This record gives sequence, structure tokens and C-alpha cells, in this order.
Amino acid sequence: MEIIKLALRNLARQKKRTFLLGSAIAFGIMIVTVINGFAGAFVDNISENFANLAAGHVFIQGVEKSASGKESDIIRDDALLMQAVKDANIPSKYISKRSSAQASLIFAGHNAQLKVDGVDFSKETFLPERLMFIKGGLEGMKQRDGIIISEPIAKRLNVQPGDRVLVQLRTLTGQQNVGEFSIAGITVDAGIFGSMSGYANKTYMNELLALGPEDYQLLGIYLPSLKGTDAYGKALYEKVKAVAPVFDRDAAKNDQNFIRSFMNQGKTETWTGIKYRVFTLNDMLAQVKQIADALDTASLIILLVLFVIIMVGITNTFRIILYERIREIGTMRSIGMQRGEVRNLFLFEAGFLALGGAVFGLVLAFIVMAAIGGISFSMNSPVFIILKNGHMTFKVDAARMLLNVLIVAALTEFAAFFPSRNAARLDPAVALRTVK
Amino acid sequence: MTIVELQDVRKVYPLGKVEVEAVKGVSFCIEKGDFVSIAGPSGSGKTTILNMIGCVDRPTKGTVSIAGTPTKDLKDAALTTLRHETLGFIFQSFNLIPVLNVRENIEFPLLLGRERVPKKEREQWIDYLIEEVGLSQWSKHKSNELSGGQRQRVAIARALVTKPEIVLADEPTANLDSHTGEQILELMKKINREMQTTFIFSTHDAKIVGLADHIIRLRDGLIIENVRNGTDAAALCADLAGESVIENSPVQSARS
Repeated sequence: MEIIKLALRNLARQKKRTFLLGSAIAFGIMIVTVINGFAGAFVDNISENFANLAAGHVFIQGVEKSASGKESDIIRDDALLMQAVKDANIPSKYISKRSSAQASLIFAGHNAQLKVDGVDFSKETFLPERLMFIKGGLEGMKQRDGIIISEPIAKRLNVQPGDRVLVQLRTLTGQQNVGEFSIAGITVDAGIFGSMSGYANKTYMNELLALGPEDYQLLGIYLPSLKGTDAYGKALYEKVKAVAPVFDRDAAKNDQNFIRSFMNQGKTETWTGIKYRVFTLNDMLAQVKQIADALDTASLIILLVLFVIIMVGITNTFRIILYERIREIGTMRSIGMQRGEVRNLFLFEAGFLALGGAVFGLVLAFIVMAAIGGISFSMNSPVFIILKNGHMTFKVDAARMLLNVLIVAALTEFAAFFPSRNAARLDPAVALRTVK
Repeated sequence: MTIVELQDVRKVYPLGKVEVEAVKGVSFCIEKGDFVSIAGPSGSGKTTILNMIGCVDRPTKGTVSIAGTPTKDLKDAALTTLRHETLGFIFQSFNLIPVLNVRENIEFPLLLGRERVPKKEREQWIDYLIEEVGLSQWSKHKSNELSGGQRQRVAIARALVTKPEIVLADEPTANLDSHTGEQILELMKKINREMQTTFIFSTHDAKIVGLADHIIRLRDGLIIENVRNGTDAAALCADLAGESVIENSPVQSARS
């Protein structure tokens, strides 16, 4: 207890030096915590934004192959799939059933490419909540040929709500088709993915694509949270597999780029009729996870590099401290302090320094994260995909934070260990007669 | 009763490539409860002998026994325990711990070691010592807020707090003015009488040597005089170790 008190007082003795060393430790902890926090939220935010754009976390895509080998995306047996979803016990927030096509919009000599999703607005109640209109609104979608486009597309075409634009796309069988859309609303730019998307009524899209009124191409299940995406994906895969032909997920699982390999399976296989492909958001974002993992690894390397530098400073400082207090060490040894107690005194000082620096660093990190999180980014910001509601968010894992603090404490103790051991090994007579 | 015994003690220090013999074979004994002065000019080996008695330094040759325990083969931990339990130290430069106040400095040795004195008993004893050294009003002050004399009083109280059998004081008055120095010695003498603690102090000041019961004079690492209460103190060791030791002792050599 006395050693702890003495260690704390010794730290308070050279306030400026303690503050500087503590600040160096705090800086290291702060940087790493912010990076960890960013990496933690990075995957979640991208997944969340992607889930919003793709309208789901778990998906079923129907792929039909004709006798001639022509491949097209279509789901005809909705009841079969809905039964599979029910059997898989998936707690869906809502289910989207969309038809979509890559289309060209043409207006007054201007042309813009975008992906148009056919949406059943009466069922997809979540999408209207997410769309932020600058002009027009959902009212216009009451017209069967209404379309909602983003601001960059509207600017390129120079259109306003109420304008009628030509649309050019390929039908399911690959024929060129032309139709007309009426601009119902213009939304704010929702980033790189959002700006390339438009939303039309599914019944009209199905007409343009030559699909039946109840057909669609992609079934998306929107889960209450990202948690369980893989498990529910697997459960749904098993249920669909039990009642219909599916693309084999296991065949592609060893491929480094799973989703590319999985999506291309149809090209090499021969079948007729409809085969289903069950996949998840995590399959699509596996590379995003790799980026996050790389960020985490990078943060650990940064922590280690920073601390190797800080350790040199700590070792040198403790060598100076040893020299400064050499007579004091001699005195304490003379009056009965054992070697181990002298070593522990220095190690306690280092430990308190590390702990104080770490706490200070964590406080700083949370201040920095709160400050960055308070900045409102424009919706057309290139970083939109990693934002949540226009704000950068951070998710700090408590276990990772604790690990960082433990690493820092261990490295600080290691840096102070050799000077502490030297202090303990000092011959008291030598220490007492040393003249500074 | 002999409490300190040195037999043919030599101490050689390496100084660069040469070796310096600071103590050249010294033998003497000190009786319990004595007020002992080790006197001599600078470089005569006073501090080296005190360090060896204090178990902070080991002799190159010869043996040192403290309270009947030969220190030669004791390991560092045992020597530290011996220092803690049997010896008290007063230094020329006071050597107080700067981050602790008067009371904490005095209490510090009691918080070391394996045995703990109960808090109430500890506090009463520290209060008594503070009172005894006349620092009641200064107990919460740090050492940098005290005069030299006050600091040395703290050092005396600290040396006494573990109730040691022997207190070693290396030139305790050297950094003090003559008046304060006298006060400090008077205090040491008073405690010596009251507590029957053996005091061994080194000094090069001829005036204060006279206060001692037992005077050991050194020159160039050899004893030139060993007198206790006016008589030759060499016989003290003769009783213990036999004539052969005394015959070979540097006292004899120096006299002959």
C-alpha cells in the first residue's frame, strides 16, 4: 500500500514529465480506439446502407434457362418461396419483391443510364420512409408509369416532376423495348449507389420487361438487424433446396471471391426451368469485411509501432529517473526496502502512467469520435455509403478496447522493467555515495 | 555485551585500473548502549567502516558481526532484513524521501518488512518520536519546507522508529551550523541514554568526538586509537576472539 502511495506521489513529483509521457500513451490509445471504432461501424453502416438499397439482407433470385440455353432472371412461383421463408422461421421486417432492369432514360436529347427497380409501393412501406424528395413526391407514383429518380439523373436529363421521359431497356428475352415514364419525384443524391437507382411501379416495369403481373426477379428479406444474417440465409437455403432446384453454395464456398463464383454458376451449368440462388448481404459484402479486418489489423500494427517509439521514451525516462533518485534508492534500501519492493515501486509508477494515459486516451478518443460524429455530411458525399443518416458513426468493441489497454500496459511495464530491475540491483553503498 | 564486532576487516575499491584499499585490516568491538565515535580525517575510512557495519557494503576480507550475527554469508534479502530490524541510519545529507511529509518519512520504515505494527500502536510511537525530536508543529510538512537541523531531527526519528539496537550516523552534523550540530548531538546522546540504543557516528570534528564513550580514531584505513571511557578498548575483542586477533590487529601495528 505504501509503495502504491509512493508511486503515485513520485508521478506527481515531475508533473510536466508525467503529463508528456502520459499524453504520448494517450495519443496512441486515442488513434487506435478511433480506428477501431471506425472499422467497427464501417461494416455495419455499409451493410445497413446496402441493405436499404438492395431492399433486404437475405435474397432469393430466380434464374430460368430455356431449352435454347437462354438465361433470364425471374421468379414465377411466389407461393413456393413464401412457404420456404415461413418454414425457415425468419423474423422479417418486410419482404420486397422487385423486378429491375438497366435502362436508358432519354429527354430532350439528353440521356442517362440507371437501374430501375419495379417496386410494389403498397407493400414496401419502408422505401417511402427512406426517400428524401427535393421535388415532387409519392403522389406522382399513383400514375402507373411514374418514376422516382435522383437529383444527379434529373440534372443530367434536365427534367422536372411531371415531365415525360422515354425509357429504353431490354425485355426478359433480350428484346429492345421502349416506353415512357412520368417523373413523379426527385430525391436527394443517395451516394454512388443511390444516384444510379430509380424506382417505378412494379406492374409497369413488368410490362416493360415482358413479365407477368405477379412475376418478379428478386425476393429480398429485410431482417430486424444485421445479426443472424448468415444463419437465416443458411436456413432459407436449406428450405428452398428441399422444395426446388438451387445453385449449390458449397460448390463456391472455397472460392476467394465467393459471390462472383456463385453468381456465375449458372453459366456453366445446364438445366431447364427455374433454379434459385439464395444469398445474403454478407456474401455480397465479404470484401467490405476484409477491408474492415485489414483496418483492424492496421490499427494493431499502428498501436505496436507507436508503442515501440513510446517505449524507447519510457525506457529512457526511467533511466533518467533512476539516476535522479539514485540516493533515494540507496536510502530506501538502507532502511530496509527489499530489492523486489524497489523494482515494484518503479513498475507501479509505470503501471499508473500506462493506466492514466490509457484512460486519458480513451476519453480523448470518445471526444474525437463524438466531434466527428457530430459533423453532418452532405448526402452527395462520396463517403455516403459508410455514413449513417449523414453522420460518421463509431462502434467500439469493449473487449478490443480492453485488449488495447492491456497491450499498452504490458508494453509500458516491459519498457520500464529493465530500468526498474537495474534500480533494484543497485548496491546501496554505491547508490549512497553517487554524487550527481 | 558486544553488539558490533569487526575482525581483520579490509575493503578494496576498484578505481579505474587501480585498486584503492580504503580499510586495511581493522578489528574492534562495540558494546551495547555505547555512544561511539569513529573519528578521523577525510579518506581515513570512516564511512566505509560505517557502511560495512550498516550492511550496505561488504568487506573484501575479514568478518563483521552485528548483534552476534556474522554478515559475511548473508544474502541480500537477509542483509536487508537485518538492516531493517537491527539498524537505523542517519545520513550527512539527511536523505529524507522528498514526496513524503515529516510524519510519513518517520513512519516509512515501519511499513516495510513482513511484520506490521498495529496502526494505533504505530501512531502513538510516531507521535512520541515527533514530540521527542521537537517537530510536533511540523509533522505535515515536506522535507523541502524544513531547515537542515529539522531535517536531521526527522532522520533521527526515522532511524529510531523500528526500535533498532544500533543507530549509525555518518557525519550527522557536517551539513549543519555548529549550534544546530550541538543540538543534534545532544538529542542523539539523550536518546542513547533514555533508550539504551547504541549510537555509532563518524566525524572529523575533534570538538564533538569528546561526547563519545568510545572513540575509534582512524588514519589511512587503520585504527590509531581505540579508547572506551579512558581505557584501551582493544581488550573488548580480546575477551571474545582471543589474543591472536589483537596481536595481529592494526591497532597494535600502528602503535608499535
